[in-house]
Amino acid sequence: MKFLIVEDEESLRNSINQYLTVEGNICDHASTYEQGYQKLSIYDYDCILLDLTLPDGEGLQLLKYLKKINKADGVLIISARNSLDQKIEGLSLGADDYLIKPFHLSELYARVQSIVRRRHFNGNSIFHFNEIEIDTTAKETKVNGKPVYLTRKEFELLLYFVVNKNKVISKAAAVVHIWGDDADMADSFDFIYTHIKNVRKKLTDSGCKDYFHSVYGVGYKFTDS
Amino acid sequence: MKLFSSYNRILAIITLTGLIVIGFLFYQTLGQYINKQIDDHLYEELLEVRDFTHVKNILPSPDGFDDVIVDYKKINKLSDKRKYFADTTFYNPKKKHDESARYLKTALLLNRQPYEVMIMASKFERQEQIKSIILIILLPVIILLLILWLVNRILIKRMWLPFRQLLINIKAFNINQEKVFEPVQTNIEEFRELNNAVLEVSLKVKSDYKEIKLFTENASHEMMTPLAVINSKLDTMLQSNALGKEESEILADLYKATSKLTKLNQSLLLLVKIDNDQLQDKEEIDLKALIEEKISYFQEFIQKRELQVETKISAFSVFANRSLIEILINNLFSNAIRHNNDGGSMMVTIKNDSLIFSNTGSRTGLHPQKIFERFYKDNASDGTGLGLAILKQVCLKQNYELSYNYNQEYHQFIINFKSSENKS
Repeated sequence: MKFLIVEDEESLRNSINQYLTVEGNICDHASTYEQGYQKLSIYDYDCILLDLTLPDGEGLQLLKYLKKINKADGVLIISARNSLDQKIEGLSLGADDYLIKPFHLSELYARVQSIVRRRHFNGNSIFHFNEIEIDTTAKETKVNGKPVYLTRKEFELLLYFVVNKNKVISKAAAVVHIWGDDADMADSFDFIYTHIKNVRKKLTDSGCKDYFHSVYGVGYKFTDS
Repeated sequence: MKLFSSYNRILAIITLTGLIVIGFLFYQTLGQYINKQIDDHLYEELLEVRDFTHVKNILPSPDGFDDVIVDYKKINKLSDKRKYFADTTFYNPKKKHDESARYLKTALLLNRQPYEVMIMASKFERQEQIKSIILIILLPVIILLLILWLVNRILIKRMWLPFRQLLINIKAFNINQEKVFEPVQTNIEEFRELNNAVLEVSLKVKSDYKEIKLFTENASHEMMTPLAVINSKLDTMLQSNALGKEESEILADLYKATSKLTKLNQSLLLLVKIDNDQLQDKEEIDLKALIEEKISYFQEFIQKRELQVETKISAFSVFANRSLIEILINNLFSNAIRHNNDGGSMMVTIKNDSLIFSNTGSRTGLHPQKIFERFYKDNASDGTGLGLAILKQVCLKQNYELSYNYNQEYHQFIINFKSSENKS
């Protein structure tokens, strides 16, 4: 997939670039409004990661321009502004999602995937990971063709890991993905362990290999290597 | 007491006592004057009686005079020649009722016989005269006073009108609203001065407040980008395969610290947002359904601490902004879970338009006012210290009554929704 990162903060741009450039994703970047404008005019992207505050302009203007030239690129706004009005304005201008800074890169990627999924497959997309099959529309999980019953939170978690496969997911990121703003309530993020344990058990019980690897108490990695 | 009624009361007391004193003195002087006149008249009568006896050597008939009654009484010896004047009453046979009268009593030698003579004159007509005079003088005075009082009342009411308006405007002034303080149009110098002073103060307060808010907002915003950088770098670092146990632990701590900072920032921004009344759209919210939804949402947190959750909720809905109510419920839940003991219990009750969250926790009650202050934390708490401040702010904005008390080992937070309807 091809992404455009419009972000003026260089180190953040690089991190996003580095994270997304796996398994064949291509990232283009722009650090100013002008650069973004030019890239948007020439190329097509699967998803545009758009920062709203740019040194020489307003990110929302790029969004307007995109609509004007009738491009159907997915747009994910990444902004430190989290006022409701901004969110509504962005979404009503045609952005697909709105992610507030600071975010976890794994969360960013999950959101981007979800946008691409909605754009290209009408939301109907099936993820395969060896013997696991995840239907994001029907919210169904199958192992070797046999359905596995997962709760909503467990399903979200598994999808999150599959999207970010081969990446280490911190417990903090996983907790934020499920509970959002209220994630800090737990003294530690240990209780995500219970959920992972449940998913693991349900998967292995239905004859699946255990792909969850824990990383020294920081997090987990979903990989078959 | 109002200024006007206090002023009126003093005025009324002074005029009434003045009126009574003046009336009394007036009446007394008039009475004295009339008594003196009658006494002169009686004395003349006495002279006439003497002359009569001198000339005619007989006693005049008792009713020989027109307007006086003369009485004789034989006495043994002429002891006292002094004249006595005094008041009395007598029966007037013509008018058939008692009348007050004035008499002159003295002893006389008539035909060398000592007699006691009493000459009596009716005071009735004179008294009637006094009454008329007093009425004629006092009535207009009283009427005049009444008119003055009425005019005064109307005038003062009109004169204080700008003051009243000013007061209404001051009360309506809200630091959070875009509307500035509305000055009152008036010709009265004092009120104009007051008006200007209030206007100036309001503008100053408003600009100061705005500045502080803007500062908070900007500072929070500016912190978000570096936080995003830190977070993304941590995520990148996490992907490195060279992470040992020690590095992992450091990384975990760093994650925790950034998440705390993020939460703090977001809470500050949220406070500013609530202050700014940015969350305005209202809708009907089923509180019962919302609480049930939140219980399942917080289920993991509740299970982890092995809390017993009890609910006593009847169907209840409020008309408010959904985000605000969710913040409210979230904060109440997170508060009750966070500050609970492991294996403790919590209770959610809706009763008489009030939502009550009770939970076990520390064994002592907390300060009922201080806990709602920003950044107030007890030693055991590792939150941002803004949760309850946000709770308070939401309630304040919605005119809900928020109170805390400690009752039989339960910390209780009570929100009364009813008070908002009464006020608006």
